[in-house]
Amino acid sequence: MDITLRVNGTAREGSPEARKTLADFLREDLSLTGTHLGCEHGVCGACTVIVDGRAVRSCLMLAVQAAGREVTTIEGLAMKGASEGGMGRRAGGGELGALQQAMWDSHSFQCGFCTPGMVMQAVAFLSDHPDADEQQIREALSGNICRCTGYQSIIDGVLLAAERNRER
Amino acid sequence: MAAIAAERYTGASIKRSEDPRILTGAGRYVDDIKLPGMLHAAFVRSPMAHARVVSVDASASRALPGVAAVLTGAELEEMTVPGPDALMALMGWAGPTPQFTLLATDKVRFAGDPVAVVIAESRYVAEDGCELVEVEYDQLPPVTNASFALDPGSPPLFANLGDNIARPHSRREFGDVAATFAAADRVFDFRIGVHRHQNVPMEGRGCIASYDTGSGVLTVYAATQSVHVTKVAVAMRLGMEGDKVRVVAGDIGGSFGLKIGASREELAVAAASRALGQPVKWVEDRGENLTASGQAREESFDVRAAVSDAGDLLGLDVKMVIDTGAYPGMGAMVPGIVEEMFPGPYQLAALGFESTAVTTNKASYVAYRGPWASETFVRERVLDLIAKDLGLDPLEIRLRNVAPRTDPPAVMVTGRPLVGVTTKESLERIAQLVDLPAFRRRQAEARAQGRYLGIGAATFIEAAPGPRSPEGPDGPMGNESMRLRLEDDGIVALFTGQMPHGQSHQTTLAQIAADEFGVPFEQVRVVVGDTDVVPFGLTGGSRSATMTGGVALHGARQLKAKVLDFASHLMEASARDLEITDGQVWVRGDPATAIPVGEVARRAASGQFGADVDADLEVVAAFDGGEAGWSGGTHCAIVEVDVETGIVTVERYVVAEDCGALINPAVVEGQIRGGVAQGIGAVLLERSAYDEDGNCQSATFMDYLVPTACDVPRIEIEHIETVALDADVNFRGVGEGGMIVAPPTVVNAIEDALSPFGVRIYEQHLPPARILELVSSP
Repeated sequence: MDITLRVNGTAREGSPEARKTLADFLREDLSLTGTHLGCEHGVCGACTVIVDGRAVRSCLMLAVQAAGREVTTIEGLAMKGASEGGMGRRAGGGELGALQQAMWDSHSFQCGFCTPGMVMQAVAFLSDHPDADEQQIREALSGNICRCTGYQSIIDGVLLAAERNRER
Repeated sequence: MAAIAAERYTGASIKRSEDPRILTGAGRYVDDIKLPGMLHAAFVRSPMAHARVVSVDASASRALPGVAAVLTGAELEEMTVPGPDALMALMGWAGPTPQFTLLATDKVRFAGDPVAVVIAESRYVAEDGCELVEVEYDQLPPVTNASFALDPGSPPLFANLGDNIARPHSRREFGDVAATFAAADRVFDFRIGVHRHQNVPMEGRGCIASYDTGSGVLTVYAATQSVHVTKVAVAMRLGMEGDKVRVVAGDIGGSFGLKIGASREELAVAAASRALGQPVKWVEDRGENLTASGQAREESFDVRAAVSDAGDLLGLDVKMVIDTGAYPGMGAMVPGIVEEMFPGPYQLAALGFESTAVTTNKASYVAYRGPWASETFVRERVLDLIAKDLGLDPLEIRLRNVAPRTDPPAVMVTGRPLVGVTTKESLERIAQLVDLPAFRRRQAEARAQGRYLGIGAATFIEAAPGPRSPEGPDGPMGNESMRLRLEDDGIVALFTGQMPHGQSHQTTLAQIAADEFGVPFEQVRVVVGDTDVVPFGLTGGSRSATMTGGVALHGARQLKAKVLDFASHLMEASARDLEITDGQVWVRGDPATAIPVGEVARRAASGQFGADVDADLEVVAAFDGGEAGWSGGTHCAIVEVDVETGIVTVERYVVAEDCGALINPAVVEGQIRGGVAQGIGAVLLERSAYDEDGNCQSATFMDYLVPTACDVPRIEIEHIETVALDADVNFRGVGEGGMIVAPPTVVNAIEDALSPFGVRIYEQHLPPARILELVSSP
């Protein structure tokens, strides 16, 4: 089935099978492998992307359902390379790169597999709840499983990003 | 040049060099690799726990458009070499050796056992193809628990063994067991069990095998804890020469012991690629991960404890049975480590230890973070049970029994010296951090209001790598080696056999080498994950901090000496007067002489020096562990148990830990917290469950629950000042301790909370339903 959608600000076309998930379409058809698959049944949150401003699980959404929509993946938040001193600044500016910077500063992650989904979930949550406290952040991220960290460093990264955002 | 200042990285929470790629989605995990002409594999798996395979008919599957091949167990058997599990062979296993094939041929041995593999143009079509493979089974009685497996009348899983014994019964005694028990004031008897649970890395197993028909080289892109162990396994089972197998790995999404060597599925994929001459990818889904990748623990312990009225633990007599699931793996070797570690940091006069490992129709045993952890669980549970009977508080009984630090050090009754062990100090620090009398007052007030708070503590020691012995440390596979090279652009490249999968080695090893060699952190590159360029190694067994940190330090020192020797020709100065600081070689005291190390390397590569000058700025270093040493400490939890719902909340969690000199405190604390989170999960949530027919009941994340951000509290960590044992290398591993000691810590706290109900706990898994049972019938 032919579809057109916007991904990370660019118009993209594709012809996925009707049964193909958005996650597989992003990873295979568009080579955006930053979106990871951790369970393929909607529990772990590793595949979280933002569709029309809302965090969704791309393993539970079909690619054809994304037709006409605006999808943002982890690649869409991409920082400039660290070597350019651009770590933390998003190409278009704004607070999203600031979250990644805060997570780097907070040693948030270990293996990195849950990271893209966790970052996308936190980005979507913080944009709606810039003043969230720790318990609210924990609840907002409780649908994203990390097996490595025990979460504290991730929560600290989100709290740091929120604090920096308020100070700006 | 005004001054040359050295920045020291070791000991600081340097930000990880892994993070820029990980945070931007630019990590490269095995499933992210796409090769030209790549096919996709999916496995047909047994729906039954134990059955004879009568027939496999793949004709309809083969006829499906898009299916390239279907390989049955029998077909795959002809393409591969029979043999034992490669990892067990590497570790020198000499016990019962079952005969089995990569895919089931004669019979299936657990629900999820692979029977055939479908190779197709996409994973979607491969799974369609699996649906079309008709397998006829003749069901056999399932052996789903250890007591049936121990029954000589149980149907043997492996015909060549004739029974279900994976490790024959053995008994050893350390000290005078009979006399110790005869002299005891009291003898306690307990039966304590640990349930089956599992690693569950966020990325499951997976690989891409790509056979080049021209060169005959098979390249395997793997998710593994050791590219070389995977290579050995592939070469063994495919009957290939070592130099025809190359294993490559990139980022790895966690493992915790699961991804060592090559699984049966991965070997089948490798054989399929060779047969088809095309790349084949297989990445397991979560259902496969939960039912078929492997599971751990499931052990039972009958424990007798000899105790004095004053609370001295004099001796233990332990009978262990471990259920190792279907196919051979590390499970049969675990009792040996449990036995050795059972005394922990305590002064036992005697230990009797007997064990048996059995085979059952469940997923195979795999290593999971601290595979011997049950010794700590059982010992720390027993101490609390005894303390309750004697009216001692949990810190008191531990302080009473812990071996004091003496010179020469106390020796575990099983043989290893407790050199540098600071358990006593960690207990004292916990007592300061957690004001026990104040907690008891708060606990009493809460109880008066119908709220049940509890406190629990537990101690552990972790051989990371363990004490010095004449042959070096006993860590897996001995010495660690590393190749180090000064590149023309001034980069110091470290080639290591470590295969980080979250441990941050690309950061921590660079910190050590930067300090020792004298370059900025950014100027060190840690190269991993390619059997063509890295030496043998394995990430596991908490070995990398000491062993690889040590070889990075000594290797950088050797490389520096070599660079200075060469530079002495270049700079016409004695090597003794030269120093490397901040990436510059200079005559000490004369900054005007400074030359960048990259310039030195370029001059070395120019060939302008004669044969008498060694201009090859590369070394291969090895490290035997130095004086090595233990990690260890005490953890303490405060919990609240809701006796109406059975829900346990961990209110506070405090760690006093000694893992030697810290390379990167943030990395160390991440390892501790992650381990504690898994331990909390093991107690409150996680269980690999089977019904009595051997059907796995925990095949999704809605059935196998892992902790979320709402289940794990902030974890307070205090580092105890370590006893320096070695002149240079006092870093110790810290990967496993959290997972080893958190389960008894949490269970001890729950039992304390429920003491008004007279509850005594002899198990590890305490989900809400079980808490309610304990409260209603203690």
